[in-house]
Amino acid sequence: MSEGLTIPIGPQHPSLKEPVSFLITLDGEVVKKAVIELGYNHRGLEKACESRTYIQDLYIIERVCGICSHAHSYAYCRCVEELAGLQTPRRAEYIRGIVGELERLHSHLLWLGVAGHEIGFDTLFMYTWRDRERVLDLLAEIGGNRVNYGINTIGGVRRDLDENICQHILDVMDGLEEQIKYYAELANTEATLIARLAGIGILTRDDVIKYGAVGPVARAAGIMDDVRIVEPYGVFTEIKVNGVTDDHADVYGRTVVRIKEMLESIRLIRLMVKEMPDGPISVRAPRRIPTGEIIIRVEAPRGEDVHYLRSNGTDKPDRVRVRAPSEANWHGMKHMLEGFHFADVPIIIAAIDPCYSCTDRAIMLRSDKGDTVTDWESLRRTGIERYKKMGIDPSKIRMRTSGV
Amino acid sequence: MKAEETILRLKEAFPDIGDDLKSPSPLRVFTPFLEPKRFEEVLIYAKDKLDYYRGLHIVGTDEGENLGFTYLVSNADGVILAIREIVPKSNPHIRSMSDIYPAMLMHERELVDLFGAEIEGLPEGPSYPLPDGWPKGQYPMRKEWNPKYFNKMTMTYEPPEEKATDTATAANDNKDNAAKTAADEKSTAGGGASK
Repeated sequence: MSEGLTIPIGPQHPSLKEPVSFLITLDGEVVKKAVIELGYNHRGLEKACESRTYIQDLYIIERVCGICSHAHSYAYCRCVEELAGLQTPRRAEYIRGIVGELERLHSHLLWLGVAGHEIGFDTLFMYTWRDRERVLDLLAEIGGNRVNYGINTIGGVRRDLDENICQHILDVMDGLEEQIKYYAELANTEATLIARLAGIGILTRDDVIKYGAVGPVARAAGIMDDVRIVEPYGVFTEIKVNGVTDDHADVYGRTVVRIKEMLESIRLIRLMVKEMPDGPISVRAPRRIPTGEIIIRVEAPRGEDVHYLRSNGTDKPDRVRVRAPSEANWHGMKHMLEGFHFADVPIIIAAIDPCYSCTDRAIMLRSDKGDTVTDWESLRRTGIERYKKMGIDPSKIRMRTSGV
Repeated sequence: MKAEETILRLKEAFPDIGDDLKSPSPLRVFTPFLEPKRFEEVLIYAKDKLDYYRGLHIVGTDEGENLGFTYLVSNADGVILAIREIVPKSNPHIRSMSDIYPAMLMHERELVDLFGAEIEGLPEGPSYPLPDGWPKGQYPMRKEWNPKYFNKMTMTYEPPEEKATDTATAANDNKDNAAKTAADEKSTAGGGASK
């Protein structure tokens, strides 16, 4: 046992919500070494963007991630708008701001539910996901869809907010605030929750800097890296954000940061609805974008989302590069896992709010013929050969071939 | 340290690249494309002397006969410094900077898979992001790699035998696109209704 026991988790595993592969080597119950393998969601999105027009790419970019789709399309639109020299209307920026904060609310509520589920606190999971539905209903009312709302377009937004929707947003915020305050109290007082989250998955301030972690992971270690504050954009040049940080540097700290950020988002949404100016919601955009290159960042719910765009004077971009926040947070994951108990692995992984699709920049594709790519037996054979190369032989496992 | 000061300090330390430094916006500084040795000197100087402590990511670009790798680093004031190196496609050999910026590791692995960079000193570990059975020598983010010749079922890349045909097809595609663009020029890409 001196070399430890190596346990493969994933790429398909009940505790993982998306495909990723972990090889965890244990010394007793303690994680000694972790090897992470990503890329299962890679579908060549950036290549796809190079052969399509700017407006077509907008819809690809929006599908980088189902949860923070607005952040990606916003960053992309800002890239194109800046290169084209467009000045977006103020009302459009306010609408973008409102949708962005609603997105942060639903993303953080989703995370809180997943975190509750991972530690066996399923009541919290059901409460938060019930509340998240109210935000998703609002987003559906605004954009016509629960996710991928398609609110952004190059030059502004596609849909306006009328008085009824604004009033509905304010009504939902009232109810939501009450609930989130309850979760904040829960995080402060519920002994089981604190005992389960505190002191695990630690990533100190120095390690955050070393591994380039972003978003709530960095802020939980006391580093204020909120792009809305560091480099204000759009509506945040007019409305100031009160940044949230914490000094626990562990999973508990990340929970506290996310709960407080939700309360701040509610404050911002109320303010933006109140201060939203009248006027047009978009400006005309040219099809061809002048030659240039630009780096834009936007604060997505999971942290800093960096987009690079290079144009060549045509109607198609020369290069689009998306650095989603999850991609930055993976570097510290190995460090966060090592030295902690195996039972804590799921919640430590969940604590960065990982989005594999963001990391790999995926779009879902089916095979051209609509049939299955491979049969069960050859899939199993491929899997066994793959693990054998890693020094693990699962071929002895008895499989039930029929009648489950 | 603001962008202006960054440019001044870089000009002092590297007079030969000073005139080519660009700052298109207040929080951005771009260096020109540098040969790998010079690039490494600038990167280490930025980390050690200018306190650009955060590694953001790497943008790989196809520069015709060459490959460009733009390393984005950031400092406490939120300035993003883009330090760039260029190598020929025929010998895309660079040194790994993941010992200086550990956050660049996964992005460098991506350069290997997608652009075919040969990176010296890259620590052992799983490749990223292409799947296990990806054909060797196929680098999808290079401009000459055309996804329509890739068979997803067999995982093989089969371009037409005659290279001239390939070029002609690409030229025709461009021609079609140009015509389409001209026809659509009057319509707007914005598409949103005004209030």
